[in-house]
Amino acid sequence: MPRFSLKQYQSRVLIAMAIYTAFMLLVWPLVNKTTSLSLKAILAVAATLPVLYVIAQMARLIRNSDELERHTHLVALSTATAVVGALTFIGGFLAAAGVVKLDGSALLFVYPAVVLCYGLVRWRLVRSYGGNSLCEEGGITPYLYLVLFGVVLMLVALLYPGSPDDARRSFLYGGAAGMIVFGGVPIIKLWYRRKYRHGQE
Amino acid sequence: MNNLIRELRAERGWSQAELAQQLDVSRQTINAIETGKYDPSLPLAFKIARLFGMPIEMIFVPGEE
Repeated sequence: MPRFSLKQYQSRVLIAMAIYTAFMLLVWPLVNKTTSLSLKAILAVAATLPVLYVIAQMARLIRNSDELERHTHLVALSTATAVVGALTFIGGFLAAAGVVKLDGSALLFVYPAVVLCYGLVRWRLVRSYGGNSLCEEGGITPYLYLVLFGVVLMLVALLYPGSPDDARRSFLYGGAAGMIVFGGVPIIKLWYRRKYRHGQE
Repeated sequence: MNNLIRELRAERGWSQAELAQQLDVSRQTINAIETGKYDPSLPLAFKIARLFGMPIEMIFVPGEE
């Protein structure tokens, strides 16, 4: 059986995140309109399904990795868990002491913070072993998808109904800009590298 | 730890990707082993030795402590 490739993982994650974004834009606003507690609970849990799917795919990717890849994944994950765990612990005590005001929705930032920290640590680790994320199996395709997804999100933000100051619209603009930057920078780097290499030949 | 994998691979005319495929690991792992940035586990070292048809101690040489 062929290995579960990074490319397969990245395309599945992008699809899941697209579903998650669509859900948050189209279905999540209904949560505040419904009065039924059970329906609220179903909608709230349904929002997490794409993210749970992403976590399952990540576990599958790590399980199917070779020993060095598994090492980098696990070091990055344990570092991210320790950092975010420590930050939430500090934040929890500060909130309990009344120094900062945090409500339950602050928990929504825990998983993205883990993913961000994991990504940064793994990027650093892969570089230390002489690797480069652009040379990995997935190549440049996931970055192109990310830029494309960012452009679509930007269009959705432009066409989103409501006032220009709507917090949801700002969130969309922020997400779209982030995707375009995170996807665009590696593409530009690769383009420069190829241009430089062609210039030498 | 030093190793002769790059030389042995070159003798056989294999690319890093081809060797990686035969060992069922990523190309980046082969690169990290060849450059001495990563020491493979014992099972992978034995797999490499078996592939090149050489004793493990002929391929992997302890570096300076």
